[in-house]
Amino acid sequence: MGFFDSLAQWLGVRKKEVNVMVLGLDNSGKTTVINHFKPPETKNHDIVPTVGFNVEKFKSKSLAFTAFDMSGQGRYRNLWEQYYKECDGIIFVIDSSDKLRMVVAKDELDLLLQHSELKNRRIPVLFFANKMDVRDAVTSVKCSHLMGLENLSDKPWHICASNALTGEGLHEGVDWLTDQLKEVLERKKK
Amino acid sequence: MSGGNEKWLDAYHDPVASLYTFTQCLTLSDIQADGDWKLIVADLGTGSYDMKLKVYKNTTLMSEHTIIDLPTGVVTFYMDTLEPRTPAIAVASGPYIYVYKNLRPYFKFTLPPLDIHPMEEDLWNQAKDDQVNVFSMRDMLESLRQEGCSLTVRTLRLLQLEPNNIEAFVNVHKNTPLKKQTVITCLTTMKKSVADEDAISCLVLGTESKSIYILDPEAFTVLATMDLPSVPVFISVNGLFDVDYRIVVSCRNGCVYTLKRGSKDVTKHMIELNSQPVGMERINKNIYVACMDETLHCFTSKGKKLWTVRMPASIMTLEVIDYKPRSFAGILVSLSNQEVHIYKEKFLVDVLKMDDVVTGMRFGRFGREDGTLVMSTKRGGLYVKILKRTAKFEERDMSAGPPAAQNVKLNVPRKTKLFVDQTQRERENGVSMHRTFQRDLALLRLKVMREYVKALDNSMNPISSDPMEPIKLSAHVQGIGPTFKFTVKLQNTSLTQACSNLLITFDYDDKLYDFRKKLVQVPMLVPGLTYDFETFVDCLNDKGVTENVKVYVLKPGKSVPIITGVVSMPVSESIVVV
Repeated sequence: MGFFDSLAQWLGVRKKEVNVMVLGLDNSGKTTVINHFKPPETKNHDIVPTVGFNVEKFKSKSLAFTAFDMSGQGRYRNLWEQYYKECDGIIFVIDSSDKLRMVVAKDELDLLLQHSELKNRRIPVLFFANKMDVRDAVTSVKCSHLMGLENLSDKPWHICASNALTGEGLHEGVDWLTDQLKEVLERKKK
Repeated sequence: MSGGNEKWLDAYHDPVASLYTFTQCLTLSDIQADGDWKLIVADLGTGSYDMKLKVYKNTTLMSEHTIIDLPTGVVTFYMDTLEPRTPAIAVASGPYIYVYKNLRPYFKFTLPPLDIHPMEEDLWNQAKDDQVNVFSMRDMLESLRQEGCSLTVRTLRLLQLEPNNIEAFVNVHKNTPLKKQTVITCLTTMKKSVADEDAISCLVLGTESKSIYILDPEAFTVLATMDLPSVPVFISVNGLFDVDYRIVVSCRNGCVYTLKRGSKDVTKHMIELNSQPVGMERINKNIYVACMDETLHCFTSKGKKLWTVRMPASIMTLEVIDYKPRSFAGILVSLSNQEVHIYKEKFLVDVLKMDDVVTGMRFGRFGREDGTLVMSTKRGGLYVKILKRTAKFEERDMSAGPPAAQNVKLNVPRKTKLFVDQTQRERENGVSMHRTFQRDLALLRLKVMREYVKALDNSMNPISSDPMEPIKLSAHVQGIGPTFKFTVKLQNTSLTQACSNLLITFDYDDKLYDFRKKLVQVPMLVPGLTYDFETFVDCLNDKGVTENVKVYVLKPGKSVPIITGVVSMPVSESIVVV
């Protein structure tokens, strides 16, 4: 089996697999973001608050993603750290219309970045400033300022404004993450 | 102690929100049933105009309604079982309760009018028919007021007017019927028959006329009325109206009363406070009352005091913090020194330092966050803090309680036969033992008095009893012998009177001692100062014999010394011949 796998990868038929975690506060749109990447026949139309976490698979142009769609509710946030070890990238979804809880999102991000599993890894972090369509949403620049991203220098990160309902901005973000992860994988090979 | 930054996230602050309100006029509720909890504030404005009901979604103002009179309380309650489950907002203001549904005015409830004093009513009726002179009417109303009768607002206004305005005032108002209304002082809710989160609730309100009313939420009829000995100011309810309930009210007379369903005697469960209450909250069965004398008390529901904590500054307001995810229940105390203290029972667990004095606080769900603390300040600021997910409140000093040693059981020995016999004897002969003791005590006192008189007669004491020569004497002997240094200290104890013409001499056995100065001339003694007079004494005997030496302070022309000091000389070392 191992031989066929590597052969398929070498031929470019089978894509490399990466694990990413989708994190963020409750109601920020994590499940909706993931839902957008799923093939049309498996798309969910009713999105309900996630309990615990869901594992979803989707493909970008050159990588196969296994996304851990974590629940953002306060009582499930302590589950996040259980999966830090296995993940290659992080997608952090921010509700850019919820100014009040921006500090909570920042607090959770700080806890995440200070965690012993992630502290010393150069793991790419993709931020989605989601819900950009909402009337009183802040811009992605303001959002990155509120989240204190300018102080995040030891990890590659990228923020893009998105609207998970229409899919605006999502592909741009995932393309960036794909490039970053490929770089990491290549470096690992060497 | 942390500055609060480790436990609280600063979510929002607007020091110039121009929001002037109190805890009673702040509430958090999911009024649109969309899971996004709104902040509902009755803004007192300047106190005379600009009173508004404001609803904040997140941190933006969502809606605003003008309120006609000063609001005294805001609550949200479910008044029907319709879907979606949107609660109504009730604002107490003057004698009215304004009910808003879906952010639109829905109903205005007016408290039943009170009985008017018959004399007052009669006077206004006469005024209506122009049968009475306005000035004589005013005099009669004034005499009613002085008798202590409770009068209508219209009459009270009339009595405040200048004489030349009275006639116009009477003409304007005389044709409208006279009404006497009270004012709502506090407002809260009580679930009617089911304890569910979204069950229908009754409104419970206290009034200036010393009553409590319970209102039906659907028909807005008065379901129950209770009378109190004083004006209620803070009210707290638990239970269900149809089953059983308890209403705890703190009143302006500094008492806390507990009213039960069906009970008539309100004074049965009464707590008397040392000072007027400034806040009252309940956690489970404990009642927390903050008083004007900077103290926070905790009582059981039975009225037994559990503890009192003294605060460093005056208390502004109280709020309960009930954070279910961490099952933490505590009390927030806002102080006039711009701090908010958090107590878990009687232990201080956290201090929040603010930029301004907090006058209104509400802890609960705001937006989508459970542990949110909304605060309004004296200068009109609005602050929102969020409790961190990882925050832990630790009870610190347990040492505040009784020391551990107090609980250690002492090893008390068994009662001996002797002890039992003694106890028996004391019990039987108690009276005679007491008499014997009293007699001996009287004899002792007599003996002491006799000795004292004798000492005074002989001036044998070191402090002069003669008012003309107020002198205190003390003498010291220094050295190990055979030569000693003998120091006599004299002090004039009077405030103004100087002493002069005194002599010091010594009385001793001249076979035993030799004083080198046998007589000391004392200069004038200035009041207050201590004078030292020294002389050397040689001990003539090396057998270790000692004797007392007396020091006399003499005045020429008096046969008795003014004061006498007795010094016992130490044993002298023998003469060492080198």
